[in-house]
Amino acid sequence: MKKTFNIVIIAVFLCFIGAFFILNIAMPDVEFSQQENRYLQQMPDFSLDRLFSGSFTSDFEKYTTDQFAFRDKWTALKAGCELATGKKENNGVYYCGDDVLINDFDAPADDNWTTRVSNVNNLNETLTGYGIPLYFGLIPGAVEIESAHLPANAPADSQQTLVDQAYGMSEATNIDIASALGAHKDEYIYYRTDHHWTSLGAYYGYEAICAAMGLPAPDLSSYDRQVVSQDFYGTVYSSSGFSWVEPDEIETFVPDDGTVTVMDYNGAEPTAGPLYDTSFLDVKDKYSMFLGGVSPLRSVETGRDGPSLLIIRDSFSDSLLPFLTANFSRIDLMDMRYYKQSPAQYAVDNDFDAVLVLYSVDNFATDQNLFMLSM
Amino acid sequence: MVFSSILFMFIYLPVVLAVYYIVPGRWRNLWLFIVNLVFYGWGEPVYILLMIFSICLNYVSGRLIGGYLSGSAAGKHAGDDRPKAKRVLIVNTVLNLALLFFFKYFDLVAETISMIPGVSIPTLGLTLPIGISFYTFQTMSYPIDVYRGDGHVQRNFIKFGTFVALFPQLIAGPIVRYKDIAEQLDERHESVDQFAQGVQRFIVGLAKKVLIANNVGMLWDAYANAAPGELTFVGAWLAAIAFSLQIYFDFSGYSDMAIGLGKMLGFEFLENFNYPYISKTVTEFWRRWHISLGTWFRDYVYFPLGGNRKGLPRQLLNLLIVWSLTGIWHGASWTFLFWGLYYAFFLVLEKMFLLKWLKKCPAAVGHVYTMLVAISGWVIFQQTSVSQTLVFFRAMYGFSQAGFCSGTDLYYLASFGLVLAIGIFASLPAGKNLFARLPEKVRGVAVPVLILGVLVLSTAYLVDSTYNPFLYFRF
Repeated sequence: MKKTFNIVIIAVFLCFIGAFFILNIAMPDVEFSQQENRYLQQMPDFSLDRLFSGSFTSDFEKYTTDQFAFRDKWTALKAGCELATGKKENNGVYYCGDDVLINDFDAPADDNWTTRVSNVNNLNETLTGYGIPLYFGLIPGAVEIESAHLPANAPADSQQTLVDQAYGMSEATNIDIASALGAHKDEYIYYRTDHHWTSLGAYYGYEAICAAMGLPAPDLSSYDRQVVSQDFYGTVYSSSGFSWVEPDEIETFVPDDGTVTVMDYNGAEPTAGPLYDTSFLDVKDKYSMFLGGVSPLRSVETGRDGPSLLIIRDSFSDSLLPFLTANFSRIDLMDMRYYKQSPAQYAVDNDFDAVLVLYSVDNFATDQNLFMLSM
Repeated sequence: MVFSSILFMFIYLPVVLAVYYIVPGRWRNLWLFIVNLVFYGWGEPVYILLMIFSICLNYVSGRLIGGYLSGSAAGKHAGDDRPKAKRVLIVNTVLNLALLFFFKYFDLVAETISMIPGVSIPTLGLTLPIGISFYTFQTMSYPIDVYRGDGHVQRNFIKFGTFVALFPQLIAGPIVRYKDIAEQLDERHESVDQFAQGVQRFIVGLAKKVLIANNVGMLWDAYANAAPGELTFVGAWLAAIAFSLQIYFDFSGYSDMAIGLGKMLGFEFLENFNYPYISKTVTEFWRRWHISLGTWFRDYVYFPLGGNRKGLPRQLLNLLIVWSLTGIWHGASWTFLFWGLYYAFFLVLEKMFLLKWLKKCPAAVGHVYTMLVAISGWVIFQQTSVSQTLVFFRAMYGFSQAGFCSGTDLYYLASFGLVLAIGIFASLPAGKNLFARLPEKVRGVAVPVLILGVLVLSTAYLVDSTYNPFLYFRF
């Protein structure tokens, strides 16, 4: 009896570690994880240099976890265990029921936040000298607007407090996007599995921007809404491990009728880009269908009469842009992570009628390149 | 490399075990010697040279001391050789401690001295060689044991090297003294029974580390830097209890894994933890916590200093020395020294009168007192700044600026309540005793099922290892 017992124990243990030892060798390496939306570590090259610098061993260790057999199933199991033991979050994502996932938010230190706002003020001062008005918009995330969905007492920091503080300091014309979104908080204005606003959310943001700029915004019912994808899994889903939730829908409101032309200044020669790049609908990163992902600088000619606008952007502006094409003749989108020259100089050189600094609170709190606004 | 990693569990361990049991017995020490160096050098390959130097140094010292002593025993140059042996021992001990000092404490001392105006000593910023605090103590004990006649000289370099770098206990103990393992290096009989015990022990340790310690560690992290205006009474206690559980399960889990791995390879190590949180006095707590460290300091510092045999004042001084060293051993920071002295204070108090007094009290008084000392001690231990320690103490002892309890506390209580309850239960012997009372047939089914369950869950947590910090690299 004792002997059988011992042998069963040893067999369970050795079979388990042995089976995965063999499976990990036998199964082909995966290059890209759709689930996590990142390239996985491949078998590192060996050299004595790399061995003694320690980079071989650390890469190899990352390789073993990244390429572990059924990796996605394991992370889902861990996420499920966390919920089962009473936790309401996993890897910084709250599980809010009804297939809603919301990113946690940690406010930056006070002086860090105010430094960020003072960069906007510096830009405002320069632009005021040239008579160009600066608008400033901070877009709160679902963690703020949909806070009613968060688990009871969830320790997420308030984004509204930060927005209020920033707007109190700001000398630019502030745009109250939070109230515009808050008034529709029960509608589908944020993706359930992604950190971005939906096209509907972007429309309400657009209304707020128009109100601040004194421009007319078409009625919501006047748009021809098209569902372009019904299986969008976003970034929040990727980091959460809650792999069983339902996917999101992506809608477009403004048709791409060819009147709008987009030029991408990414590299030596400008290239023509799309308003919607539907090829992204076949891959994981479906939100990038709006304008086709990141670019240091984009120039959009709308073919309409109207003023011109320079937007200093993050990715929230990409789904907003189609709405703005109704009001402007030209809209440029500048990404301070990649555009390494003075934005004020660019605005002056190109004779823009207005500049808009538009960031999600999350990105505004973490981006390392906001100092470029003061250049 | 750490045990609680995919690399160790699914590559290193299968290969080590397979080859170990395929090769004939006489090759097994050599195989262990090689894989020990791989294990040790994984994080910082250059330090393999340091390890080999340490092995050579202590191997040669041991041989020399043994040679001088056998000479004097043979009566040839009696009187001449014992002092020579002593000189070798002193040089060896100084060199070992110098290495430890250089790699672990140099920066701390440099920074401290640089606080004197006009003095500036540059820091080196060296990575701490893993396990240096553990293996330095192990190797140092060998020439001392030989000198004292407590252990035989090891002539075989491979066997000695196997002892020094033995991977199961290399990085977090237990601290194995040479004399406790000498015979096993020469001859050990691996058996099915011992291997099965080893598997069970390893799994217990794995569950402690991966499923409990890492988990409650996140609770401590959530509170550790809380501002005075945020930290409530409940929050401070939640965090302090969480860390007390984290360090116990992390450390004892690691010892369990070490003991289990040792058994799989035919070694028997001494126990390192014995339910410390059931202690009724602080003295008892330290007999149950990190036993191998306490034993080491007792045998190689406290007793040689005279222990309690030279009168009370001398005994108190000895205690102070031992506990300063115990404190600073835990890490290169003055907070650890303070933490050691904090324990010296309670131990002296108990020696003077508190033990007698506690004996007359109901057991509950002793338990509550000991847990208060231990839990508060962990706050001192883990907080890097004195001011943050005081923030915690104020909140824990009724002077919180944030009140009794907040919504955030309720959130964390709901999130971690179950894991905390499991942790508290598992830190008491009750669970083990209950399990032992189950009919053998039930256990025969339950144990393999539990083993499989722990393996599956731990693998899930390790694969999703965005959060797998290892606490003992600072030691």
